[in-house]
Order: sequence, then C-alpha cells, then structure tokens
Amino acid sequence: MKKILAILMLGFVLFLAACGSDGNADEAAGSATAGAEGTSEGSGDNEKQVVTFWHSMGGAGQEALNAIVDSYNSSQDEVQVNAEYQGSYDEALTKFNSVAGTDSAPTIIQTFEIGTMSMINSGSILPIQELVDADGYDMSGLEENIINYYSLDGTFYSMPFNSSTPVMYYNKDAFEAAGLDPEAPPETFEEVEEASKAIVEANPDMKGFALQAYGWLYEQLLANQGALLLNNDNGRTDTPTEIGWTEEEGKSIFEWVERMVNDETFANYGTNGDNMVSGFLAGDVSMFLQSSASSRDVIDNAPFEVGIAFLPHPEEKERAGVVIGGASLWMIDGKPEAETNAAWDFMKYLQTPEIQAEWHVGTGYFAINPAAYDEQVAVDAHEEMPQLNVTVEQLQATTSSFATQGALMDMIPEGRKIMETALETVYNGGEVDDAYNTAVDQFNTAIEQANAARGE
Amino acid sequence: MSMNSTAIQQTPKSQINFEQVKKKQRMKNFSKGMLFLLPSIILFSVFLFYPLARTIYLSFFLTDAAGATTVFVGWENYVTMFTSPIFLQSMKSTFLFVLYTVPITIIISLFLAVIANEKLKGIGFFRTIYSSTMGISVAAASVFWLYLFHPSMGPLNLLLNAIGAEGIGWLTDTSWALFAIAITTIWMNIGFTFLILLGGLQSIDSSLYESADIDGAGYFYKLRRITIPMLSPTLFFVVTVTIINAFQTFGQIDILTQGGPVNSTNLVVYSIYREAFVNYKFGSASAQAVLLFIIILLMTFLQFKFGERKVHYQ
Repeated sequence: MKKILAILMLGFVLFLAACGSDGNADEAAGSATAGAEGTSEGSGDNEKQVVTFWHSMGGAGQEALNAIVDSYNSSQDEVQVNAEYQGSYDEALTKFNSVAGTDSAPTIIQTFEIGTMSMINSGSILPIQELVDADGYDMSGLEENIINYYSLDGTFYSMPFNSSTPVMYYNKDAFEAAGLDPEAPPETFEEVEEASKAIVEANPDMKGFALQAYGWLYEQLLANQGALLLNNDNGRTDTPTEIGWTEEEGKSIFEWVERMVNDETFANYGTNGDNMVSGFLAGDVSMFLQSSASSRDVIDNAPFEVGIAFLPHPEEKERAGVVIGGASLWMIDGKPEAETNAAWDFMKYLQTPEIQAEWHVGTGYFAINPAAYDEQVAVDAHEEMPQLNVTVEQLQATTSSFATQGALMDMIPEGRKIMETALETVYNGGEVDDAYNTAVDQFNTAIEQANAARGE
Repeated sequence: MSMNSTAIQQTPKSQINFEQVKKKQRMKNFSKGMLFLLPSIILFSVFLFYPLARTIYLSFFLTDAAGATTVFVGWENYVTMFTSPIFLQSMKSTFLFVLYTVPITIIISLFLAVIANEKLKGIGFFRTIYSSTMGISVAAASVFWLYLFHPSMGPLNLLLNAIGAEGIGWLTDTSWALFAIAITTIWMNIGFTFLILLGGLQSIDSSLYESADIDGAGYFYKLRRITIPMLSPTLFFVVTVTIINAFQTFGQIDILTQGGPVNSTNLVVYSIYREAFVNYKFGSASAQAVLLFIIILLMTFLQFKFGERKVHYQ
C-alpha cells in the first residue's frame, strides 16, 4: 500500500513541480523589473519640479518611452518627470476617475482616442488649447489627420502623442512558398481570401488569415469603406443617437470572415492579440491585422521576412483610409501653475522632430510631427525597414471625411465589446444574420443608455 | 401619621433607585461591550456596511463615467438585468463554473490529503509541494496557464498533436473555454484546500484508528467510518469557502479570456467589473453586485441549514 502511495505522490510532485517552477520564474522576473523601476523613479532630485506622468505603454513602447523620459530629465535640471505605468488604457482611466480632483491625481495622463469624449465630460482636465494660446505655440506643424481627430471646433483638448493605424502584417517567405508575389500583398477582402487559400494549399499547417476579435479593428474596417460608426457625422456635429453604418457595410466584414471560416483558412485567436502575434511569429498564420504600433516588435522578432500592407477593403468599395488610433496626453486641471508649466514643457519636448523620430523608429507609432521623417534616425530606419514607411503612406493616402476622422462618444468602449462578441460568434460557427442583428440592437441600446445617463 | 406617610413614600423611592441602579449597570455593561466592539464596528462600517449601502443606493441610478449619480430610475436597472441575455448567460456560466470546480477541487484535495497523511519518510516534502500552489499568485498562475493553452505552441495542444489528435481552441472555442478556466481554478485552489483538509486529518484522535485496528477494520472501512465523519467540520468549511470563491472568480478570467469567447466565461464578478469599469455603468453594475450578494447569502444560509446537519462535531 505504502509503496503505491509513494509512487503516486511522486507522480503528483512531478506534475506540480513542472507547473510551479514556471509560475515562480514569472513572478520573480516581474518583481525584479518592478524593483528596478522603483529605484529609478526614487532617484529624482527633490528640488526639481516633479511632474507625474501616467501612461499605458507596455513592452517595447515602455522601453522607448522610458528612454525619452530619461533623456528629457537629463536634458535640463528644473523638471523631473516620473513616468508611471498604470496598466491598459481602460485600467488607467478607471484609476484616474477614482483619484480625479485629489492630490494623488497625476499631472499628465495618457488616454486612448475613444476616451476623448469622457475626458472632456469629466471636467477635471485643462484643455491644452489654453496653454497653446498662452505660450503662442504653433500646432500647425502636426500631421493633418491628427489635427482632424483631436481638434474639436478648432480647440485642442489634449496633446496628441502616440498615434497608430491598423495595418496588415504578412509573412513574405510563406507568400513566396505559395507562389504568391511577396511584393504585391492582397488589397481587397476577396484577394485576402484567394491568398489564404493558396497559403493553406501550399502548407496545410499554416492558416491564411487571422482577425483578432477587437472592436477597434472592426471600426477601422468600417472606416476604410467610408462608413460611419455613429450617426450625426460620427458624433462630430451632434450627440449620436444610433449607429451610423448601413447593413451592407456592417455585414460585409462578418460575411468576409464567415467565408474564410468556411474555407478553413481562418485562424481563430479570439480576443487575444498576443497569442495571434506569437502564432504569426511561429508560422501558424500568414496574415493578420494589427496596430502599426507593434511593427518594430514583430519585425525584430520574426525569423522570416515580414511584410506590412494597407488595411484591406471590400472589392466594390473605394479605399477610404483609416482612423487615427492610439492615445493623447491630457493635462489635469487644478495643479499648481509651476507644475502645469513644467508638464507643458515636457509635452512640447515630446513633439520635437528628434524625439518623434526616435519614438517612431523605436515602436512603429507614426511621428505626429511629419518633420521627424527627415531626421537621420528615421531615414536610416526606413532604409533598413521599409515596412515602417507603409504606416506613414497609409495615413497620408487617407481621404479626410467624417468617417476617417473617427467617432466621438463616451460609449465606444462598450460598443467595442459588443462587436467583439459578435465577431467571436461568427468565428465559432454562428449565423452571420443573428450575430449581426443582436450586435446592432445592443449597440443602439448602449447609445440610448449612455444618452439617458447624461440626463439628456 | 406623618412618619408613616414618609415611610410609605420612601419605600417606592428606594425601589425606583434600585431599578435605576440596575438600568445604569446595564447601560454601563452595554457601553463597555460596545467599546470592545468599536474597533471592528468602525472597520466593518467603513469597509463593509457603508459600501454595501452605497451599492444598493447606486443600483437605483444611472451614473456618469466618474460614478456620480445622474438620473433616478427606480427598479429599471434590475429589470434590464433580468431581461438581458448577456447577464442571464453570465449567471448560467457562473453556476456551471461552481458545479465544475467545487466538487473536483475537494475530491482531488481530499485524495492528496489522505495520501499525504501517511507516516512516510520525507512526507514533509510532499506536503510542501502539494500545498505549493497556494503560494502562487492568481496572476502568475494565469499567465502560466495562458502559455499552456496557447492554440499552436502550447504544450497541451502539442501533446494532442503528438498523439494524433486535433488541437483544441482551449480559450477560443465556446464549448471549451469555461472548462479551461475551471481546470486553471481547480489547480490554483488545490493548495489551500489540501492544507486545510490535511490539518483536519491530523487532528483526528489516533486512538480511534488504534481501536479500529484491534477490531480488524480494513483501510477503506476506516476511511469511510472514521476519517470522513471526523473530518466533516473541516469539509463543511472547505465546501463553503470554495463555493464562495468560485462565485467570486475574477483574476484568471481577466487574464485568460476577458469573458470571451461570446461571453461564455463572463462570470458574474467579471461582468460586474466590465459593466462598471469598461462601460462606466455603475448603476447596473451595482444591481448585479446586489444580486450576487443575495445569492451568496442564500447559498451560505442553505448550506448551514441543510449541510450542517450531517456535520459531526467532536
């Protein structure tokens, strides 16, 4: 009896030990980096004006941002910027809402583009326009499409910072192996389907295409057809009351995905973008859509040649272009003037061509100040990695309209979740009609509720 | 006469005094008791009673993004909640999840505790290892399972491929995702449950086994007739706590699936979080929280009413 028990126990030990060691290693690594950050933050000079900067940049973005903050801190000796990572945009916004108006509120917070409306409504921010006017700062040097998104009735509420657009990443080696031209990536939904079939035929272990169930991508695929997300011109002329796209426009994306699911060329990674990227890097899927912000990461880590292409569109529609994604920096109201001015100085520093060039090259976000592309760092990088240039070209090819200016409404985060659920339904073999109609109903209800909650 | 009347007057007076003293004494005792309770009353009020009252209050309102109330809507949040297919799905998933995790966690932990209760050489080593998952944070464990579940590079799917089976979309397939979360949770909970059960086993009086041995009872007979009944108070505690924990599962869902695919793992606490901190609808989130509170209260009450009858206290 005891012998059997001993053997049994050893078996369980092996199982638990295999699992346990991995988890511990993760934790140890996490605490080590946290510790390192803590010391670098604590080493600031007390006499300097301290500016607290909350951001949501993880991974390569965090490294690039920390480098920029360090360079700013050492470039002068009056201001000490403390960059603090506060988790995803959602999490950072939640934390901010709970400390807004108290001393614990940061001086600057980075918030994603769809948070624009709720930040303005929150009443705890200082519109950047006031500082621009007081300082006589010239904002016209910024990229035109960025000005279109972030200025409302000619007023800048926040300082644009990290902007990206969605692009299609593809595996050039796999394209070659399947007899496709790696320099002519598919441009339309239909061409993506054809290419996917060719890829799967050449290599049954590789899927053709992956679309992460991510509401942002759905919005972009709509905008690329020239469709609005919300009525009243995407909420730019009046508060939206219902969805802005037509059934044909909205359904085309679902039907496209369904056709690929039926062809068995579609790789389902659900809502998990990291899994999708690692699947791509491991050669499990040949094409996927993702923010251009990951391009540096993907190019550096891929064992094959990575191509970057424009976002696809339905064959019968003209390409309308993309909406600015990413985030901007908000100045928090109610801080001492010295602190606000110090923060403003830091914001201006971030806009300089040198810093924007470094940022663009280090991450794949595009430079919001086009002068950055003439910087030597950017020129060299574009020569070495011509893919980085695609982002810039795609943005510049965008025709400005309400569709590509992007939607403004405080319920967009909820709307994204609704579209994600609908996409996942189709990935799992659900009916397009059902999924689509449910999603539209829920989307409209969410808009109604958001308007009701504002007491309008 | 006059003396008499004073005497009569005095007697009730002294009686009144006596009652007053008694009352005073009681008051004194009461305030003394309150004084002792004060620290916990303050703590409970600040961290439990006030938030509870506030949640109930919020559940009757619509709010803005900062959580400030804007419009009073009465029971509307509750009505919307009970008619929303998303919420009903989330309740269903929660009950399924409790059903998946609680019995299996307890059976495995009990099994491990029974075998680790044997007096073997180096048993301390095994006990440490079995309880080790208790020392791993939910976040770390989830990240590790996220890797195991990876659709193409995860060891689980590689294993399936190696034996010729098709890989499973653990976290992306609607029929597997809840199951995958349940496996993760069971693994994480085993450490704690094992430790409590082992503690229970250790406190069983060895004379019971000795007399059973003298009577010639077999291993399984002793297990059924001595171990399980004597362990019942501990088991009862473990069942209650595991059920409450299962209802409140959050971390692993946030990291592994974010409620997806198609809301199949959107358990009720995650749904509350999403409603409040992604959709900024604190009103309906509060309504869900109130419902969760009532359900857990009811479950615990029922357990004490019916479950405890079978518990044998020494």
